[in-house]
Amino acid sequence: MTIHLKYWKQDGPDVPGHFEEYTLNTVNEHMSFLEMLDVLNEELQLEGKDPVEFDYDCREGICGSCNLVINGQAHGPKAKVACCQLHMRNYKNGDKITIEPPRAAAFPIIKDLVVNRGAFDRIIEAGGYVSVKTGSAQEANAIPIEKEKSDAAFDYATCIGCGACVAACPNASASLFTGAKLAHLNHVPQGEVERSNRVVAMVDQMKEEGFGDCSNFAECEAVCPVGISISAIAEMRRDYMKAMFS
Amino acid sequence: MPSFIKAINSQVGRKVMTGITGIGLMLFLIGHIAGNLTIFGAPDAFNIYTKTLADLGPLLYVIEAGLAFFFLYHTILGVSIWRSRRKARPEGYKKYQTKGGPSHQSLASKSMIYTGSIILVFLVLHIIHFKFGADYATMIDGVEARDLRRLVIEEFQKTWIVVGYVGVLSLVILHLSHGFWSAFTSLSMKSKEASKKIQMASYAFAIVIMLLFIFIPLYIYFTGGEGSLISY
Amino acid sequence: MKLDSKIPEGPLEQKWSKYKKDMKLVAPNNKRKYEVIVVGTGLAGGAAAASMAELGYNVKSFCIQDSARRAHSIAAQGGINAAKNYPNDGDSIWGLFYDTIKGGDYRSREANVYRLAEVANEIIDQAVAQGVPFAREYSGLLANRSFGGAQVSRTFYARGQTGQQLLLGAYQAMMRQVHAGKIEYLPRHEMLDVVIIGGQARGIITRNLVTGEIKSWEADAVVLATGGYGNVFYLSTNAKNSNVTAAWRAHKKGALFANPCYVQVHPTCIPVSGDYQSKLTLMSESLRNDGRVWVPKKKGDDRHPNDIPEEDRFYYLEEKYPSFGNLVPRDVASRNAKIVCDEGLGVGETGLAVYLDFRDAIKRDGRETVEAKYGNLFDMYENIAGENPYERPMRIYPAVHYTMGGLWVDYNLMTNIPGLFATGEANFSDHGANRLGASALMQGLSDGYFVLPATIGNYLADVKPGTRHGTDHTAFVEAEKAAQENIDKLLSINGKRTIVDFHRTLGKIVWDKIGIARNKEDLESAIKEIQELREEFWANVYVPGEKNNYNKYLEFASRVADFFELAELMAKDALDREESCGCHLREEYQSEEGEAIRNDEDFSYVAAWEYKGINGELKEELHKENLEFEFVELKQRSYK
Repeated sequence: MTIHLKYWKQDGPDVPGHFEEYTLNTVNEHMSFLEMLDVLNEELQLEGKDPVEFDYDCREGICGSCNLVINGQAHGPKAKVACCQLHMRNYKNGDKITIEPPRAAAFPIIKDLVVNRGAFDRIIEAGGYVSVKTGSAQEANAIPIEKEKSDAAFDYATCIGCGACVAACPNASASLFTGAKLAHLNHVPQGEVERSNRVVAMVDQMKEEGFGDCSNFAECEAVCPVGISISAIAEMRRDYMKAMFS
Repeated sequence: MPSFIKAINSQVGRKVMTGITGIGLMLFLIGHIAGNLTIFGAPDAFNIYTKTLADLGPLLYVIEAGLAFFFLYHTILGVSIWRSRRKARPEGYKKYQTKGGPSHQSLASKSMIYTGSIILVFLVLHIIHFKFGADYATMIDGVEARDLRRLVIEEFQKTWIVVGYVGVLSLVILHLSHGFWSAFTSLSMKSKEASKKIQMASYAFAIVIMLLFIFIPLYIYFTGGEGSLISY
Repeated sequence: MKLDSKIPEGPLEQKWSKYKKDMKLVAPNNKRKYEVIVVGTGLAGGAAAASMAELGYNVKSFCIQDSARRAHSIAAQGGINAAKNYPNDGDSIWGLFYDTIKGGDYRSREANVYRLAEVANEIIDQAVAQGVPFAREYSGLLANRSFGGAQVSRTFYARGQTGQQLLLGAYQAMMRQVHAGKIEYLPRHEMLDVVIIGGQARGIITRNLVTGEIKSWEADAVVLATGGYGNVFYLSTNAKNSNVTAAWRAHKKGALFANPCYVQVHPTCIPVSGDYQSKLTLMSESLRNDGRVWVPKKKGDDRHPNDIPEEDRFYYLEEKYPSFGNLVPRDVASRNAKIVCDEGLGVGETGLAVYLDFRDAIKRDGRETVEAKYGNLFDMYENIAGENPYERPMRIYPAVHYTMGGLWVDYNLMTNIPGLFATGEANFSDHGANRLGASALMQGLSDGYFVLPATIGNYLADVKPGTRHGTDHTAFVEAEKAAQENIDKLLSINGKRTIVDFHRTLGKIVWDKIGIARNKEDLESAIKEIQELREEFWANVYVPGEKNNYNKYLEFASRVADFFELAELMAKDALDREESCGCHLREEYQSEEGEAIRNDEDFSYVAAWEYKGINGELKEELHKENLEFEFVELKQRSYK
């Protein structure tokens, strides 16, 4: 099938970008979205043109590298799918597709559709861990954890760190990402000890990085490829206020 | 208490305070409509109610100052959060659309800043309109009091005033239908089921309370407001 | 060259504790004087960086991804083994050791494998303490499940995302040390060379993948935790950026490369649908518990699978292996899928697929039961293949999944170059000729958390703290220059064929001739074809863009160039190994019924190759490390 593409080109963080257009006639419905871009790049190279850069790695929806905003939706039209697992059968012959990078001050553009998400690393660095040294752990079964709690912790821990939540948020807030890590660690007793310090450190870092405020749009939950609930944000707020007033 | 200042200035605190002030303002709305509805009572009921308020004296100023603070704080937070998004996303998308599903992006949520601004302007006009409007006098239990009821009935005979009030109050429905849910969400409502219920409650609250507000000018306009509004 | 594996003396059960008792220690106040470079941030690299930083070493951690959390360990689905014996089903460290060494078809070292089994329990403790949300029973205690190649339930798991959860644990431990200032964290940096001064590894050369800057980094020891080389096949279940460059460049600097022909092919992947295919997606092996594998009996039978009656279906695994049926080990299942497809019985548009049919399971247990067990996998299949597996059999085909070969290391995980260590999939050490399910995570974390942090101290104790040659030393300057020249050369060719085109063509040669089944003739022709294609690559490849900017195609070009050389070595190694063992099947060495015939007399060795230069042909010298089995008895595998 034929797809009309319009994609963002930008040479670096401080130079202005622009859209380029290309009509691709060799799209197959079984291709993944990123494979379609591979084919685009092959054609561009054979025509001596500059390929478009985009981030990817595992292509099975778990590494969180890919983070395209497709027709104004992070990861494209399908719910609970990263764009590496979005297939072209979700499009029709002749469709027009606009591809943009996630846009946020905290995610400066490196090139074209590739952005720097180091801010996420720094949020984790601020406190997204349990301070246990290698070798100092006790017997794994020493502390039983309610299955329900452990399952809930998993639901939050499944965040792939792609940044779709930031991309889609009208305010470019990182609350879902931050809240998910907090909720994961707070649901297990091992994380409980550092609960207060962790929430303050991570929330403050989020602001430091230049992410916006959360306005409860819940768009983050809608675009999250692993379906993390905004209840993570609710927990984060409560813990933060508790930590500040105790 | 520096941690208190830090807390309410943090990204979490700002939203929590927006929620708290929002809930305060909603409680005020409930009080306000309850008072307004006395206009349907005995001919003196409404004026007795307003006189009671006026007789509070200095306490009324304290309440008014508190309300003004809530309004201002709520407004400042709203504007500040709205402005911060430009800083967080200096270059916007050329194309943007919601993904639906669990998203709460709607006409109501996206227009909070606009409906809020209109409400703010309306509020100023509304205060000028009634608080500082024509000072008719009446007698209640042999004591002279302000006849606010007469002013209300006179004003709501004017087509443009009624249209304006009804128009603005309809916008408040939008603001409240998201604001009510959002306030509880900001105050850490966790579970998905609760979230759904509160969204329903949010719609119900917005519609019921605003229909009550809207009912008064419309009723007066269409019935002419003669005598007691309800015949005994 | 004499290969010394440095295995401690004594009974198997006491080797590791004896090693720890005897090893040299570095005093805490001296630890902070040492610099250690860790390349790669997967389970092995991330865990090692965190643990060494906790000990007090100054660590520099490099990865090619935009964040340490994206290393490909994240994609491991199934689980991690440990002989905790929580289910009380008779498991023991010995049992885990024995299954692993048997699973590897007796081509790994007893001492290494035993240590792995021993340390595994500590990994589970460590991960739980980090907050890893493993699956639990209603009692609140940890749950276990069974996995291929074992008769006990010893696999710990976190839904189908065990790798992700364990990696995030290691990543978070690492970020904690970044925060503490003990790790200098350098994402989007690719190692292009290792620098050796006075016979010791003293640093690396990297390219900053954002700015293109080539830079030298000096250290007292270098750890390569850079994963496997499955992407030499172009199509594999590896991530797109997984590559052999770091290990290969170390090899070219003198590090021996061991057993490159040992490549594990996973039997249940979603098949290739066309030329544009960029990677293969694994479907959990657990599907074979209830799905039946078959192909049509007649060639070219293009009826809808549901319309093919029972008598026209060939349930080849059930017929050939009546006792194990569809549950034969990975290598046997993969090989048989290839055989039936080679005979022209394959299904789908490409003819390179077999059916995995759940019709009978749904009939027997009901759709709900099947959905409860495999719902998420069925959804994944439907999303990718666009077909509903409840109504139509899945199409599956084997795909390259894991490489057991890698840099040769001794018991200390040190290569033959002093100060150069290799951990995780990047080394060859623990899986022999075949890796069992749920063992990769175990090895990565065992190396990273427990083995390397101990053994590196044993090495550093002999290195004078604070010895620095400076990055203006000729060894650094020359290595930087060579790295730069390689990049300039790639960019200057300006040919007609794209990198992906070359890589795909190379992958097809490797898959067809050094894949599931090998023979002398094919391997010899593969070497020729690889050489020719490599020559064409260096004359006709087109690399777009510039060197001083983000340029993914330039990164790929440099990696594909290394894959070309590795591919030739794989063929040489496969040619040398005139036996069938584990994943390595030489068609000349099988029984009449098609069973692998191992030759312990002549081939019970680790093949460690030494680079001798490249000039049209890759020159490598073979060194053999004989494997001695003191504690287990070698047996032939049979699944009939």
